[in-house]
Amino acid sequence: MAGLLDSFSHADIPAGAEALRPQVKAFLAEQMAGRPADARARSWSGFDADFSRAVAARGWLGLTLPREYGGGGADAFSRFVLVEEFLAAGAPVAAHWIGDRQSGPLLLHYGTEAQRRHYLPRMCAGEIFFCIGMSEPNAGSDLASVRTRAIGGEDGWTLNGQKIWTTYAHKSHYMIALVRTSGTSDDRQKGLSQFIIDLSLPGIDIRPIVDLTGDSHFNEVFFDDVHLPADALVGQEGAGWAQVNAELAFERSGPERIYSSIVLLDCWADHLRGVPDAHAGLAVLGRLLARMAVLREMSIAVTARLAAGESPVIEAALIKDIGTALEQEIPVAIAEALAAHPEVPVTDELLRTLAFVSQVAPAYSLRGGTREILRGMIARGLGLR
Amino acid sequence: MDMDDALLDPFKRLLERISTAQMVRASESAGEVASWVEIDGSGFVDALVPEAAGGVGLSLADVVPLLLAAGGALLPVALGETMVARALVARAGKALPVTTPVLLWPADQEGRPRSLIAPALAGATHAFVQQGKQASVRPLMQGDAAPDGFGIVAARLDPTAAPLLVVELPEDALFAWAAALTAATMAGAMARVLEMTMAHVNDRQQFGRPLGKFQAIQQQMSMLAEAVAMADVAARIGLTGRQDAPSRLDAAIAKTVADESATTVCAIAHAAHGAIGITREHDLSLYVRRLKRWQLSFGSAAGWSRIVGEARLVETGNSVDFIRAMRHD
Ligand SMILES: Cc1cc2nc3c(=O)[nH]c(=O)nc-3n(C[C@H](O)[C@H](O)[C@H](O)COP(=O)(O)OP(=O)(O)OC[C@H]3O[C@@H](n4cnc5c(N)ncnc54)[C@H](O)[C@@H]3O)c2cc1C
Repeated sequence: MAGLLDSFSHADIPAGAEALRPQVKAFLAEQMAGRPADARARSWSGFDADFSRAVAARGWLGLTLPREYGGGGADAFSRFVLVEEFLAAGAPVAAHWIGDRQSGPLLLHYGTEAQRRHYLPRMCAGEIFFCIGMSEPNAGSDLASVRTRAIGGEDGWTLNGQKIWTTYAHKSHYMIALVRTSGTSDDRQKGLSQFIIDLSLPGIDIRPIVDLTGDSHFNEVFFDDVHLPADALVGQEGAGWAQVNAELAFERSGPERIYSSIVLLDCWADHLRGVPDAHAGLAVLGRLLARMAVLREMSIAVTARLAAGESPVIEAALIKDIGTALEQEIPVAIAEALAAHPEVPVTDELLRTLAFVSQVAPAYSLRGGTREILRGMIARGLGLR
Repeated sequence: MDMDDALLDPFKRLLERISTAQMVRASESAGEVASWVEIDGSGFVDALVPEAAGGVGLSLADVVPLLLAAGGALLPVALGETMVARALVARAGKALPVTTPVLLWPADQEGRPRSLIAPALAGATHAFVQQGKQASVRPLMQGDAAPDGFGIVAARLDPTAAPLLVVELPEDALFAWAAALTAATMAGAMARVLEMTMAHVNDRQQFGRPLGKFQAIQQQMSMLAEAVAMADVAARIGLTGRQDAPSRLDAAIAKTVADESATTVCAIAHAAHGAIGITREHDLSLYVRRLKRWQLSFGSAAGWSRIVGEARLVETGNSVDFIRAMRHD
């Protein structure tokens, strides 16, 4: 336990990484001009290929990947600064998000040299987008029970099965999927492998699912005798479980688990500026910011661990759990504060932003591992399991 | 790391001698502690006094681990407060006229204490009182006072006595110090509550296995650890601003998060302990009693967070800009 607390000890963002911030701010000021708050609040789910290519043109996609693969060769702190500014501004990051954050690092770590050279430069150029095929209808939290199966043959693999909740499969070029290559679902973690799947191949059917706000980002994806070349396998056959867990560790650490509701928070702060005697509101605002400041400090500490080559899985789970709780509390607190004063006029923009965030906020503690699963990981870190 | 341990290890050994649960209990109603001479002799009280003024000249960041450890042991003497009072007086080019423990006593413009509940007397003889920009050393009332509702003897200023020494401080400096120090003490105490509760759920068996094997308890323990981690980081933010003194906003973050965490920590620790935690005999009560009392001391989450909210509205950038600026003032 003392160990757990020590791992959040103070770290500073180095000056070299901070130097990136003004450039990112200037870029965003230009790109984001005129986008209303309810569009900006979609940040994570805002798919804008032109924006992503503009980011790539600045050399900021794959910022931490080595230069020889088209990356920026920068450290985890630089990426922290970049992502923090993107999210604070509500930039539409969805097109490049998964590749930049998960698939790129995964291919770098586990891919063959040929795979790295084939995919990473195009990813860094904003030419190809990725999605993640982990979940299935009967494999949610219990990911080890995936049933989609690839059978090896003479000249590659034959893939059959179904993925679900695959974010932006319908607009991506590739999926990195976790599938079974041997045994049955009773074998659990054994016999799972990761594949990179070209989504233009015959036999793939992608059907968008409309979310509760009417937006469309996630999908069902069906595989019917899809032929995959031999080099579609990522990493080792049968090592998919370990690889996926390493991948989720990249996913969970970082500022993205603090700022999902920040556009709404700032929109509300602007509103409060015009309200006389907003005392109760100010206390609520301050409380949320106090917690955000502490989480940011913790997130920087974890970034320092990543930069030092460690894999702070438990710490990342802890930050994500606290962070998503804060992200979910923001719309609740703002709704209460606004509705208590019907006599104070509220802009349509603020109300739309509130309506959007209030409806999608429950997803914050589902995507990337549910609250209960994360708490189970923390309990393991505490030595209880 | 080594430097830290070189300081922290002897301090922990000192705490083991002078801050046992038995001594903590004895201090509650007695309002008096025997160990001050040993603490003062250890040199830790002068940790923040500049070397030129005969102190150790450590930075605030250096002493934060000591303050957390003192909180963890519920050290029943105003060590941190005296440390700060000595340092502030020394920075003003003077020396504290007393060698006994001194409490921090921020007051508003009218002289009313900026704390709903006064600090525990716990052997202190004087208070360092700030009103406006003036800070003075003033005697505390001694002698038979009834314990408050927490069973603890609260300090009272002696209204008749003249101040012993007057120095100037920035407006509300002592309020920020008192809040940040309280937050660090609370964070230390909460870390210890986590340890105690972990030990309990590993030890206590029901339905044929330790409580810690039940998923419901594991999830609660994770939340407890989260609250403790937040308080720990917040306490460090509170005390390690750029100026070697807590800024108002740093203190606000620290006390807000400490207060919020304490609510979670006390609730989960009690739930996990079951009925045994409700007994006076169990040490959990020592911790909960103080945490609840500290929540009433030197401003609450609601009060401090309003200061943060007001500061946010003055800032024109976004909330990330605000948080960053706040940490660099
Ligand atoms: C917006 C969004 C985008 C997503 N994008 C993707 C994506 O791109 N790719 C992808 O693969 N997946 C994606 N997902 C799916 C996501 O990973 C799953 O929703 C998540 O893993 C949980 O699975 P489930 O929804 O089936 O819930 P379930 O696993 O059925 O869980 C339901 C509830 O039961 C609890 N529960 C389950 N097991 C346990 C247990 N052992 N102990 C205690 N409680 C338990 C859960 O915590 C939860 O509260 C996305 C989800 C959302 C909401």
